[in-house]
Amino acid sequence: MLRILGAARARPAAGAAGVAALLSLAVLAAGCGSSSSGETQSAASAASGVATTPPPTPTSCASKGGTLKILSAGDVDHIDPGQAYYAFSYEITRPTQRALLVAKPNSIDLQPDLAASMPQVSKDGKTVTVTLRPGVRFSPPVNREVTSADVKYAIERGFSTSVANGYAAAYFGVLEGAPTTPPSFPEPISGIETPDTHTIVFHLSRPEAVFDAALSLPLTAPVPEEYAKPFDDQAVSSYGLHQVATGPYMIKNNAAGSINGIGYQPGRRIELVRNPNWDSSTDYRLGCADQVLFQEGYQDPTVLTRTILSGAADANGDVPPPAAELKSILANSTQSKQLYFTPAGGSRYIALNTSKPPFDNLNVRKAVAYVLDRNALRLTRGGAVDGAIATHFIDPSFGARGFDQAGGKSYDPFPSQDFSGDVAKAKDEMKKAGYENGMYTGPEISMVADNVAPGSDTAKVVAADLAKIGIKSKIVSVTHSTMYTKYCNVPKNEPNVCPNVGWLPDFHEPQAILDVPFNGKNIVPSNNSNWPLLNDPRVNAAMDKAEQTLDPSARYGQWGAIDKSVTETAAAVPWLWENFPTLFSSRVVPALMVDNQGSPDVSLMSVK
Amino acid sequence: MTVQAANGTTNAPRRPPPPGGGPWALGSVVAGALGSSMTRYVLRRVLWGIVLLFVVSALTFLIFYAFPSADPAALRAGRQATPQLIEQIRHALGLDKPLYEQFWIYIKGLVLHFDLGYSYENNVSVSSQILSRLPATIALTLGAFVVWMLVSLPIGIISAIKRGSAVDRATMGGALVAISAPVYWLGLIVLLLFSRDIGWIHLLPGSGSYVPLTSDPTQWFLSLLMPWFVLAAAFAAFYARMVRGNLIEVLGEDYIRTARAKGLGERRVILRHGLRAALTPIVTMAGLDLGILLGGAVLTETVFNIPGVGRYAYDSIINSDLPAIQGTVLFGAFFIIVANIFVDVVYAFLDPRVRY
Repeated sequence: MLRILGAARARPAAGAAGVAALLSLAVLAAGCGSSSSGETQSAASAASGVATTPPPTPTSCASKGGTLKILSAGDVDHIDPGQAYYAFSYEITRPTQRALLVAKPNSIDLQPDLAASMPQVSKDGKTVTVTLRPGVRFSPPVNREVTSADVKYAIERGFSTSVANGYAAAYFGVLEGAPTTPPSFPEPISGIETPDTHTIVFHLSRPEAVFDAALSLPLTAPVPEEYAKPFDDQAVSSYGLHQVATGPYMIKNNAAGSINGIGYQPGRRIELVRNPNWDSSTDYRLGCADQVLFQEGYQDPTVLTRTILSGAADANGDVPPPAAELKSILANSTQSKQLYFTPAGGSRYIALNTSKPPFDNLNVRKAVAYVLDRNALRLTRGGAVDGAIATHFIDPSFGARGFDQAGGKSYDPFPSQDFSGDVAKAKDEMKKAGYENGMYTGPEISMVADNVAPGSDTAKVVAADLAKIGIKSKIVSVTHSTMYTKYCNVPKNEPNVCPNVGWLPDFHEPQAILDVPFNGKNIVPSNNSNWPLLNDPRVNAAMDKAEQTLDPSARYGQWGAIDKSVTETAAAVPWLWENFPTLFSSRVVPALMVDNQGSPDVSLMSVK
Repeated sequence: MTVQAANGTTNAPRRPPPPGGGPWALGSVVAGALGSSMTRYVLRRVLWGIVLLFVVSALTFLIFYAFPSADPAALRAGRQATPQLIEQIRHALGLDKPLYEQFWIYIKGLVLHFDLGYSYENNVSVSSQILSRLPATIALTLGAFVVWMLVSLPIGIISAIKRGSAVDRATMGGALVAISAPVYWLGLIVLLLFSRDIGWIHLLPGSGSYVPLTSDPTQWFLSLLMPWFVLAAAFAAFYARMVRGNLIEVLGEDYIRTARAKGLGERRVILRHGLRAALTPIVTMAGLDLGILLGGAVLTETVFNIPGVGRYAYDSIINSDLPAIQGTVLFGAFFIIVANIFVDVVYAFLDPRVRY
């Protein structure tokens, strides 16, 4: 789920008039609620003017059978559940794979899934014991019951180069004996024990506050070693193309277990069929439909949206309806009931490179934080329906999990009228930085941005705002993935400004929002996600302490304070707490994953 | 191309075979065995085609690395992957080898096993992906080709015969509009007008409705009707104008006047003598256009969500998936080269003045 906010869910920018109309319509649709229990994420609604109440949780099927059809523009990032790391990919893993834990329906709170109960954590926080639910079986051709050894192998394989899970080292690297250099093929990890077939014990080298939350990631979904090993022992594992399932659905396969060209046609379709070995008494999922089709390749979001509205398809998988369509839907009393907004859980921000002039100067960075017109920035992505303007990093949907502790919506260290920027205060900061008249006199700065809208528009707004304090920018425009992998993720190539970055959490723990992007210890020579290159000893120490604080109440207080500290460094300027819209057809009972950017949850949806 | 000399041999100097043999020597041996100058010409073109494919492949390789593109190892590794993991993946994929070595491995796999490699994105064989998508592209291209030829030839002929008439002006005006309408725009308009799901008139299956011919022939045909006409529109318009222009020019030739003077009927003069000569450049164009489209009609396949080679190329570029990019580029180049050779051969049959 953790992914950089990018083109996959990007929307074209709307004109100001359209956005104003949209805002007024959205305000009419606004709802409210509490987020403190994690039941719903309505806190964002007040700031964005858009209701973020999910549809009621289905407790039974409106009908058994039928086909659900989800439309998407692109394909999953990886079909292997041990590699999958996109919100859209989780739309496939959630109904097919059972991780140890899972978010409760319509909630960001976790509950047992493959586990029979929540993990037992020892007093010192270094031993985590999980008991597995009996009666969960693999789909054909494996067919046998899941054991704790399958979970152990699933995690071990994630560390190997052949599988190359993107988050194994980040969350499971704390396991005793976890590889520090990735092995070519899966190798045992001494810190995972399986005393019996239904118990798994994790030994950690230090207490890790979010370890149990990480057990909800698909890496913990069981993988049968005797079946998967031959596939994993290839240079690039092909287990994903032969995967077996534990959920109510499996990707359609042949007798040998291959899904390649059968249930999985890359870039075309993914077909889920019933898992004959699924026992509904072991699962909260409903598994109502007989078949689920993920039809890919819908590059035009307007066509995608209208196809759903026509009833020929049932929900948008990875691309949101474009702003013009959202406006039309919100204006229609019937269609608006089919549309739901969900907080993404993270923020978009402008990253300022603190390792070189001029942004190595705190006052210059503060000047930028003051001068940026965050309302104009939000308009580049569609305006108020896209979410609330961010004033710090922890998303409102976190509520009492750090958002409130950071001061909630009232915390804004760089305020301005209507978020449109304060040039006078910016110039004051420039003067403090030693620039007479408050105007920058140094050389042109560099910026690497997306080469298509809306990212390119965002970069232009940033450049125009920087010019107000005399900073001239040279924008290099590249594709979104190039921007990351060749420039902003590589410190030696990093420009002064990365205007198109953002961070979404893997789960709703503030550590998952703040640690990787702002902890100095995470600065690495490649694939670096600390884009401001912020290495503040005070912030680093506070993070290290919070990472090991097991008491939630104390931990959330610590992260709230860290959020404020990071924001006040102005190393990055947050500007959007993003919402994602999900549109359902009128022929289905809707269900979505509030913990996964509002992606449709086909395991709970049913045809009316 | 060389012009055939009076004694039936080509007047181009014959090059000696390279020491130790090689493609040229092999071509000469085969050509010698087969005998005719036409066969030799075709073989020569085929060999040059292979050289060209090699060059195209090398250029694609270089362009991918020379221009800013995403790092495939980092993309495969995922967001929080450690630098060590990325380097290990780079090693496993052979991306840490020198460029020439990577290229050599690629070419070796291609030549010896017709192996286009595996997608960095999903580890699926590129050749199997292309081959599985080829039927959709062929169906789209050939169908559109039939439509544009059936439309452009009569319109071009009538416009040429009725030059300056209201019919001529109306058809040529219409052609101008069709040429000016971009495929992605026209495709969306047609979808919003006629598709069953989102159209004003619920007439034909819409975007994403393509099914293979073997699974449902009726649905296959209906799902391709709109794409055929949209893809054919601009081509038909352009070809109609070409046919008209060429025919008008040919009809002014002396031999046409002679044919009429000999008392041949107007229908025979136009169809037998005029159109045949007027069509020669059209055949060249048609062959090349067909070759280009078989390499992937990217826009049409994207707008109508047809899982063809063009959309695969589009997706692979978006994902910085070098093996897939290489495969689709090579594939497109292959069709263009084959079409070129085919056109040159057909040329000889259509125009008796041309010999090799």
